[in-house]
Amino acid sequence: MTARTAGAAGMLAAVCVAWSALPLRHGGLAGLFLAVAIACALLSVARLALGRAPDEAPAYLNTVEQWARSVADLIRLCPWAEGMIVAVLALEAQHPSRAWHTALLGAALLAYLLASHLAESRSRLAVLRPQAPLIAAGLGLLALAAGAAALPSGTGSAADVLAVLAAVAAVAVAGMVIPV
Amino acid sequence: MDTARDTAQRRAPAPGAPQDAQARQARLAWSLSAHAQRLITLALAGLVIAVITRRPEFAGVAAPAVLLLAVRRPERPARVGVTASPSGTKLTEGEQAELTVTVTGDRGYPVDLLIHPRYAVVPGTPDGEPALRGGRSALPFQVTRTGRRSLGLLEITLWDRMRLTEGHATIELPIVDCYPMPAAQRQRVVLSRLPSRLGEHPSRASGEGIEFTGVREFVPGDRQRRINWPATTRRGRLQLNTFAAERTQNVVIIADASSDVGEPGSTPADLAFRGAAGAARAYLAVRDRVGVIVYQRSVRWVSPGLGARHFYRIMNLMLLEHARVADPARYTAITRLPRAALPPGSLILVFSPLLDRRLVETVRDLRERGFSMLIIDVLNTEPSGSNDSLSGLARRIWRMEQEAIRFSLRELGIPLVSWDGRQSLDEPLAPYTRRAMVIRQ
Repeated sequence: MTARTAGAAGMLAAVCVAWSALPLRHGGLAGLFLAVAIACALLSVARLALGRAPDEAPAYLNTVEQWARSVADLIRLCPWAEGMIVAVLALEAQHPSRAWHTALLGAALLAYLLASHLAESRSRLAVLRPQAPLIAAGLGLLALAAGAAALPSGTGSAADVLAVLAAVAAVAVAGMVIPV
Repeated sequence: MDTARDTAQRRAPAPGAPQDAQARQARLAWSLSAHAQRLITLALAGLVIAVITRRPEFAGVAAPAVLLLAVRRPERPARVGVTASPSGTKLTEGEQAELTVTVTGDRGYPVDLLIHPRYAVVPGTPDGEPALRGGRSALPFQVTRTGRRSLGLLEITLWDRMRLTEGHATIELPIVDCYPMPAAQRQRVVLSRLPSRLGEHPSRASGEGIEFTGVREFVPGDRQRRINWPATTRRGRLQLNTFAAERTQNVVIIADASSDVGEPGSTPADLAFRGAAGAARAYLAVRDRVGVIVYQRSVRWVSPGLGARHFYRIMNLMLLEHARVADPARYTAITRLPRAALPPGSLILVFSPLLDRRLVETVRDLRERGFSMLIIDVLNTEPSGSNDSLSGLARRIWRMEQEAIRFSLRELGIPLVSWDGRQSLDEPLAPYTRRAMVIRQ
């Protein structure tokens, strides 16, 4: 079960990176974001594959084993999935506006996060059942946002309003972190 | 691992004490789950990019994450009651056992359980199975090496409904006693001369046993039911069946635990204990009197005795002595074993790698005192080192020394066989179990 979900998470990570990179853009920050996204995706899958750190370290390790152990610890330590999310969205933003493309990327990123969680916590798909209505509603909002973005805008004022609303929502989300 | 070391990090139960079956209160430390942190990253990244680029589709990307994060969270339990009791407190090496864990006060939150094992404990958590059913879960584990072993720590994780926050607690698991896995042995070495005590080994002397030894002429006073009528008819005089007397023997097993070298779990000391346990079980099964001497920095013994209870007395001795295997502080110069542990006429089985010179001297001394001995060599390793010529030469010298020790013991009339710990003890002992072992004084 864990191997399958980890494999699914790896495939979704690859899909996200490839989807956000296409069509390939040269120059600017796109190359950098692509490199970061690929590296973070690989390392996040490696982190899932490594699993938890062993409880007891062997008493004696040779140099190569010590080096491998340090690398594994580093991979476990860093939030590679978060890095991949930021890099993928930044890479997508490098392209000209393409609302439905971005919406599909958002859905793939959400699926990747859920698969990562299942693989990490060694849980079954059934544990996500309570979240299903909210995920469905979120995907509906995503589709609405993509539809709104696809509409031709006469002036730039609507986009400005949206930007302000988005900023307020960002503050709200950040505020949720504090009471936990 | 950001877990609250539970208040419940109480002292481990005292050795030999009954295992703790009372519920312990474990304080939960709640924090954001990694899943929630990733959702926050997605929400913030989507919204920030939407603001910067003024593209609403990025705000849409953040929408599912924002909805999941905004859900109201019910009150979380601050503590849970945890009971952890193993299926048995006395196990043998490699035996499958279960740790039954009961969690109370979890208010319906999903609970995950994870054992962080200590040395020689191997947990077998079923992958993907629900951890707790009806507040109770059975976690399989096995202990792979003899000794008094702490099972380790139990990590209890409670998740909220949306898997956004997780509460961690850790409790100390009980201690179990792990006995050596007795080696398989079906055949027994029996001495040619046995003490006059009723037992199950046919001896050379005639007696009231059930093993037929021959026919002789009837003399007044013999039991009539033993008359052999066919022979009587042939010879024309009354003939009588004779039977072997059945005697018991005293067996003293010396387990040499002075050398704990090699791979943990299959060191000569481990092999010596397993072999000694197997031999003790085999001889006790035929009602022989069995004693055990554990030889290391000091000598401890159990005098010869009978029965299943005596077997556990022997196993307890080995269990307690295993913990002291590598304790150099207990060094005492011993070259003679106590007379009380060695009844005259005993068969002495020595499980030893013969690395300790003092034991070799002790064995010679016993042979010179007239004891019948058999050495089971459990040396299964040799000094490691680089492959340069000097190391190779040192290894060759070491091997020659070992061969010289074994040669000198054979010259004294002490049979010596090798046992690798994997095969049955019957195989190396086969030359000595087919017929009675003759005692040479």
